[in-house]
Order: sequence, then structure tokens, then C-alpha cells
Amino acid sequence: MQVEFAGFPYLSAILLSCLAGLLLILFIPREKQQQIKRVSAIFSGITLLLAVYLFFAYDKSRGGLQFVEKLEWIPYLGIHYFNAADGFNLPNLLLTGIVFFTGVLTMWEMQVRVKEFFALYFLLVTGVYGLFMSMDLFFIFVWYDVSLIPMYLLIAVWGTTRKEYAAMKLTLYLLAGSALILPAVLYLVVNSGLNTFDIVALMQPGTFTPFQQKFAFILLYLGFGILAGVWPFHTWSPVGHVAAPHAVSMVHAGVLMKIGAFGVLRVAIFLCPQGWQHWAQLMALLAAVGIIYGALVGLRQTDLKYVIGYSSVSHMGIVGLGLSTLTVDGLNGAVLQMFAHGVMTALFFSSVGYIYDRTHTKAIAELGGLSRVMPVASAYFIVAALASMGVPGLANFWAELLVLISAFRVYPVRGIVAIIALVFSALFMLRVVQQTFYGPHNEKYAALPDVTLGLGMPRMILAAILVLFGLYPSLMLDMIETASIPFIDGLPR
Amino acid sequence: MNWMLISPELYYLIAAFWFLFASMIGSPNPRRDYFTALSLAAVGVMVCLAAVNLEGTLFYRAYRIDLFAQVFKVMLSAGLFLIICICTELKGIKERYQREFYLLLFVCTLAMLLLVSSVHLLNIYLSLELSSYSLYILVALRKERNIGVEAGIKYFLIGIFASALMLFGIAMLYGTTRVSNVEDLIGILPGLTGNPAVIIGLLLTLSGFFFKLAVFPFHFWAPDVYQGASNQVTAYIATASKVAAIGILLRLIALTGDGSIYLVHVLVILSIISMTMGNLAAIVEQDLKRLLAYSTIAHAGYVLIGILSMNDAGYTGALFYALSLLIMKFAAFLVVVQVASDGGNLRIEQLAGLHRRSPVLALTLMISAFSLAGIPPTIGFTGKFLVFAAAMQRGYFTLVLIAMINVVISLYYYLLVIRAAYLLEPREELPNLQISSAMKSLSVAMVCLMVVGGIFPYYLIELARAAVRVLM
Repeated sequence: MQVEFAGFPYLSAILLSCLAGLLLILFIPREKQQQIKRVSAIFSGITLLLAVYLFFAYDKSRGGLQFVEKLEWIPYLGIHYFNAADGFNLPNLLLTGIVFFTGVLTMWEMQVRVKEFFALYFLLVTGVYGLFMSMDLFFIFVWYDVSLIPMYLLIAVWGTTRKEYAAMKLTLYLLAGSALILPAVLYLVVNSGLNTFDIVALMQPGTFTPFQQKFAFILLYLGFGILAGVWPFHTWSPVGHVAAPHAVSMVHAGVLMKIGAFGVLRVAIFLCPQGWQHWAQLMALLAAVGIIYGALVGLRQTDLKYVIGYSSVSHMGIVGLGLSTLTVDGLNGAVLQMFAHGVMTALFFSSVGYIYDRTHTKAIAELGGLSRVMPVASAYFIVAALASMGVPGLANFWAELLVLISAFRVYPVRGIVAIIALVFSALFMLRVVQQTFYGPHNEKYAALPDVTLGLGMPRMILAAILVLFGLYPSLMLDMIETASIPFIDGLPR
Repeated sequence: MNWMLISPELYYLIAAFWFLFASMIGSPNPRRDYFTALSLAAVGVMVCLAAVNLEGTLFYRAYRIDLFAQVFKVMLSAGLFLIICICTELKGIKERYQREFYLLLFVCTLAMLLLVSSVHLLNIYLSLELSSYSLYILVALRKERNIGVEAGIKYFLIGIFASALMLFGIAMLYGTTRVSNVEDLIGILPGLTGNPAVIIGLLLTLSGFFFKLAVFPFHFWAPDVYQGASNQVTAYIATASKVAAIGILLRLIALTGDGSIYLVHVLVILSIISMTMGNLAAIVEQDLKRLLAYSTIAHAGYVLIGILSMNDAGYTGALFYALSLLIMKFAAFLVVVQVASDGGNLRIEQLAGLHRRSPVLALTLMISAFSLAGIPPTIGFTGKFLVFAAAMQRGYFTLVLIAMINVVISLYYYLLVIRAAYLLEPREELPNLQISSAMKSLSVAMVCLMVVGGIFPYYLIELARAAVRVLM
């Protein structure tokens, strides 16, 4: 068997720590809840540290694929266990680590069926990590489904509003996405004549005819796009976000939707660049509609989590718009937006989670004046809201700026539409902030304690990251450029 | 003549005779009979394993022992062993018939061993009938006589109809080609695939196996028989009997070489209707065994995708699929048998609270449901992936797309089953299920098999490839 490992397999180590954590949780008796949470925190922390290490150890001057791990899995079908890191997936791996770790901390107070929850949560994140690092189509598909399946139980068992409906809808929608992905993947692999699922081998120019690229691209785009919340296939997402327990909403909106966008980038765009060029107009159109639709629907919502859910649709539209511009800046902005939006939504859901655990309501009308009762907890939410509005100084600003500038150059009309939509988006965020945290406060909640330092930890980390990359975006952009510039330069003209 | 070649068959013949004599003398002793059957079946697996590398032909070339047949024999004997494992309490069958029950199981397995090695059309027909007749009686042995006998008669009527068609098909094949040995047909058939009589003859011949596999339009018996037969018998029909049908179908279809366009068209249509109809009908089912029956019909459709691809990848996929069906269907029935401890049928809502009553069984049910739906990383996914990849090699893009849409539909009802086990709470408080540690380890072993078969299928795929190579 052909084995190729460049040094210590850090990427596999991430997966193995997830699995080790999962197994360890399974062997702890269910009564020892505190111990289960501690083990979860330790193992998710290890994966975060590994992701941070990879992020900084990546040699930006060299670029390309690094930390390559490759071994033959099923030689007869050309399937490899092939992991690598590049400028596109490192921000996402880092994001997964951050959201995973802070998600565990957010669930620190949970009491019901703790063991099963964390076991499934670890399984979910294993799938997410695996997908981001894999460079083999077969494994990408496998990881995609591995990350979907725990979702059903996570939402249906531990969720809140209309949880069974939401869980079923989400699972079937996303599996419908995979029903488009698998035929498209097989179509590409068979037509390449190379008998391999290795993305690097398949993405050589000239492997596929323009027709094959166009055909496969649209299937892959729709398949992964469902998960990325592309309008009009987004309807599972707000429902799912609202119903899911907090940490799952965090992973879900923060990371899972990025899997969709990342799949479009890694599979559809990498393998079918000509298909990408062909369908870019449609992508931009759907993205622009999604941006404005999410903002407008968000305006009318009365449930705090629904507001965030629709703002996710809108923000993922920005990722889609960035991907559709066919420019370096657009790609940079899209990937940065994946990261920034992930951290921001995680912060949103984490804050709402804290508030909901105290007040047991997510209805905006019932809350009110919370900033006087719990100023710190409110502050975290407001930071996220500011990030969502694209206020300078936070990471989202740079991402949206890059995407909008490049979109405006390529598609002026859709660019303007998106910019107008952002105004609405700011409007609805401000309305929510004003109604929830200012104004007359509800006496019922007057005695609630503010968040303590320990419990506020996850939100503190998330807010700090938003500020860090807001003040110092080149840390991230330099990384993404190592992948996006060579890729755009290599495109067929 | 080398008797060693047919040692597995001889062994099962002796085992069947043992139960025949035992049923005539002495009084029934369920516990002793169970352990006898279990040890006989366990030794049977070893005999089949020991015989795996044998090769040769017997009985004037009517009977052939090759790797393909031997691999199927191992699967069949393992299937019998697994089924007997869950026969600890045969609540669904009258005590005085229990030794006949084992007798018929062994006879049926013997018939299937003969079936997968037969290369003469009459030989195939005889073995098929022997296994079918054993099953007709097994179904009718149910304790609640009404539903058992009704199911048995339904099974019997549709069965003889299918076998009449099959005989007619054999006659047509013989009439047009003047040979009845499958090995001789290999030389002649590929040249004759344009001849309508040959194609119709072949299709009619295949209909006997379509009946076994519950492919549309021979699927009508499945839900009623699954519901009417006792849980163990249903498990046997759903696992071993399907494996044997896939085996012989592979051997016969491989005869046509590259295949005729007519044959492929017919198979594509049957496959699409089978999977779509099976999946749609399963959605509304409330009885778990009926649901599994419809899911079997759908699985028959997926297997046909591998078979109709008519390349070695497709045959490999179909063989692997047979193995995965054996494992995951058995895991599902293991749960059915354990939860329905009174031997009755199991409604989906009776699964409520299973995650508390028995976490191990709930986990087994969940993994087997995901595996049946074809979600990675389970063995069911690997099977589907292999057949879909094979179909794509032949350019059947639409077929694969339809099959994938079917996977999504099927996930809906599998999720309903999982929901019942994990989310619903029983109306009145039910005691925890008392599961013996042997059954617990069996469940865990099944879960491991399903997951490992999904993550490391390398050796199994290589074995399947080696086995189908003798067909080409």
C-alpha cells in the first residue's frame, strides 16, 4: 500500500482526538455528568489547539497543500484517505475548533441525557473536521453524511420549538443534497477515466470536457448549496436553527452551513472551473436574492433565534456572491466571510442560549431592557449584532467589504441590491437589539443574575476572535491568498 | 468422484436427518434442541469455511464448486447460524413443532447451498423448489394458526405461479438453444441475445428468482408473509433466502456476457419500480415487519442495479450488497425478536422508550436503520456505493439519480423507526428488557460489523471481486 505522510499527521490527530473523546464519553457512566463535560472540554480543546497550531505552522511563502497525509484505502476504486491543509480549509478548520470548543462550554449547564448529547456532538464535529481536511471525493461524501446523521437526534431529542418537524425537515433536505452530490461525483470520476477519487488528480485542466463540467457543476452546486442555505433551498435552515439546542445551533449555523459553501468551492469549483464560469451568473442571482430575502424576512420575526436564522441566510448569500465573482478578492472575501460569519453566529447562539436558559423565552416582545439586568450577557449579543451589521473593527466588515467591492465590479446591479439589503439587515439587527436589550424592562426577569466569568468564557473567546481578525485581517487574508491567487491564475480563460 | 467437494452439502443433509429422526423419537425438549441446532449450525459454518477453496465439477457437469459458490455457501451457513442464535425462545411456534422447525431450516439451507452451486437448469429448478417448499411450511408453522396459514398459502400460490413461469422459461431456453447446462449456455447465449425467444425464456427463467428476491412484479407476497410468519422465519426469509436468490441471479445474468439491450431495459424498469414502490409503500406501514418487507422490495431494486450493470464492478457490488443485506437485515430482526418477547408482531409504536429499556438494542436498531438506508459509514452504504459506481460506469446516470432519490425517501421511514426508539415514550411505564448477555454481545458484534464494513471494506471487496471473477 502506498503511504505518504509528511511528518506528524496533525490532521489525522484532530480526527483521532474527536474519536478518542467520543469513545471515552461512551465509557463514562451516565450519572457522572460533570466528568463527561470535562472530558468533552479537554478533547475539544485539544482539537482546537491542533487547529491553531496548523494555522500558524502553515508555510505561507510556500503555499499549496501542506501537512499531506495520503494512504490507499480501496485501491480497486481509486479511493484514498487523503488529508491536506491549504489556504481554503485552514480558516475553516480553525473555525470548527473554535465553535466546537466554545459549544461544549456553552452547554456546561445542561442536565438532560448529557452522555448521549456529547457523544453525538463529537460525532457531528468529527464529520465536519473530516470534510474540511479531506481531498478525496469519496471521503468528502462520507464525512458529509457523517455530519448530517447525528443532527436528527440532536435536534429531535434536545431541541425546543417544533423540534421533530424541524429535525425531519433538515435531515431530508440535506440528504436530498447528497442525492445530487453522489451521482455527480460518480459521473465525474467515471468520465475522467482516471479511476481515482483524488481531487488533486482530477482537477488537472483538460480532465473534463466543458459540457461535463457544466453538467456536474450545477448538480454539485445545488447539492452543496442546499447545505449552504442557498435561496430557495434555505427553508430548512431557520427552522433547524431555532429548534436545535444551543451548541448544535452554533455548530449548525456556524460550521455546518460552511460545509455547504466549502463543498461548492472544493468540489464544484475546483473540479469544474468551466462549469463555474458558465453558471456564475445564476450563482450571483440566487445569492443576491438570498441576501435581500433573508434581510426582509428577518425584519418581521418575533423570535430571537429566527432573527439569527434569517440573518444567516442573508450572510451565507454574501459567501455565495463572493464565490460567484470569479475574482481573487471575491474568493478571499467569501472564505473570510465563512470564518467571520461562523464565529459571529456562534456568538449569537451562545448568547441567546444563555439568555434563554434564564428567561425560558426567545420572544423578542417578552424580553426587553435586558441590558439593565444582565449587562455583560447583553454586551456579547450586541457585539455579535454589530458584527452582523458589518461595523468596522470586527472581522465581518472586511469580508463583506471585499465581497461587495468585487461583486460591484462584476455584477453592478446585483452588487447594489446586496448593498441595499445590508442596510435592511442593519435595520433589523438594530431593531432587535433595541427591543430586547433597551427600552422598558420586563419585571419578571429583574432578579436574574448576570453571566459569570466562567460561564461567559465561550462568548468571551468568540468576541475576542471577532475583534482580533477585525483589527488584523491580513492574518487571515494572507493565508487565504496562498490558495486563491494560484487558483484564479490557473483558470482557463 | 471426490466427495470432499460437496462436504458442506453432505454435512447439512446429515444435520437435517438428525432432526428428522429426533422429531420421530423422544419427547421435545426446547432447550436441548436449541443447543443441538446451534452447535450443528456453528460447525456448518466451519465446514463451509474449510471448503472455501475447493474447486471442481460433479454429476456430469451439473454441479459446480467454485469460489463464487463457496463464498455464497459461507454467507448462507452464517445466515443460518445467526438465525438459530435468535431462536432461544421460539414463542411464535408451537412447542411440538420445534424440531420440525429446525429440520426445515436445515433442509432449506441445504437447498440454497445446492442452488448456488447448480449449473444445470433442472438442477437449479429442483433446488429452488426444495428451498421454497421448506419455506412454505415454515411460514405456516406460526402459532397463531390463522395468519400463519394464510401467509403460507399466499406464499405458496404466488410461489408456484412463479415456478410455473420459470419452468416455461426453461423450456423455451432449451427449445431454442438445445442445451440446458449453464456452462454450455455461456458459449451460446451472448450470440443469441438478439433472439426474442431467448430473451423471453431467460426473463421467465429469472422470474423464479425475482420471486425469491421480491422484485416487482413478484413482490406481492412479501408484506403478508413477513407479517404472517413467526419472527425468526421472517428473519430467515429476509436474509439467507435473499442471499441465495442474488447468488443464482448473478450466475444466470452473467451468462449473457455483455447483455442484450432488451434484457437491460427490462431489468432497469423492474429495478426502478421495485425500489420506488417499495419505498413509497413502506412510508405508511405501522407494523415493523411489514415495513421491513417493503424495504426488502426496495433493496431488491438496488441489487438489480448492480446486476444489470453487467460488468465485474456491478457483480462485485451485488455480491457485497448480498453480504450487507444479510448483516443489516439480521441486526434489525435481532431487535424485533428481542423486543417482541411474546413472539407476536411488533408495531412501530411498541418501540417507544427502547433507548431506556435497552440501550444496546436501540443502538443496534439505529445503526441497522442507517445501514439499510445506506448512510455512511455503514456497510449498507458501501454496498450501495459499489452498485451505483458500477451503474455509472455503464452510463446509467438517471438510474443512479433515481436510486439516490429513493435513498432519501427511504430515510424518512427509517427515521420514523429511530424516532420511535429514541423519542417516543411508552403510554404506561414498561419494565426494562431482560436481554441475555449472549444477545447483547451478538448485538454489539452486529453493530461493529456494520460500522467496520463501512469503514474498512477493503478485504471484503477484494473477496467479492475474486469470487465474481469466475463468472466472467
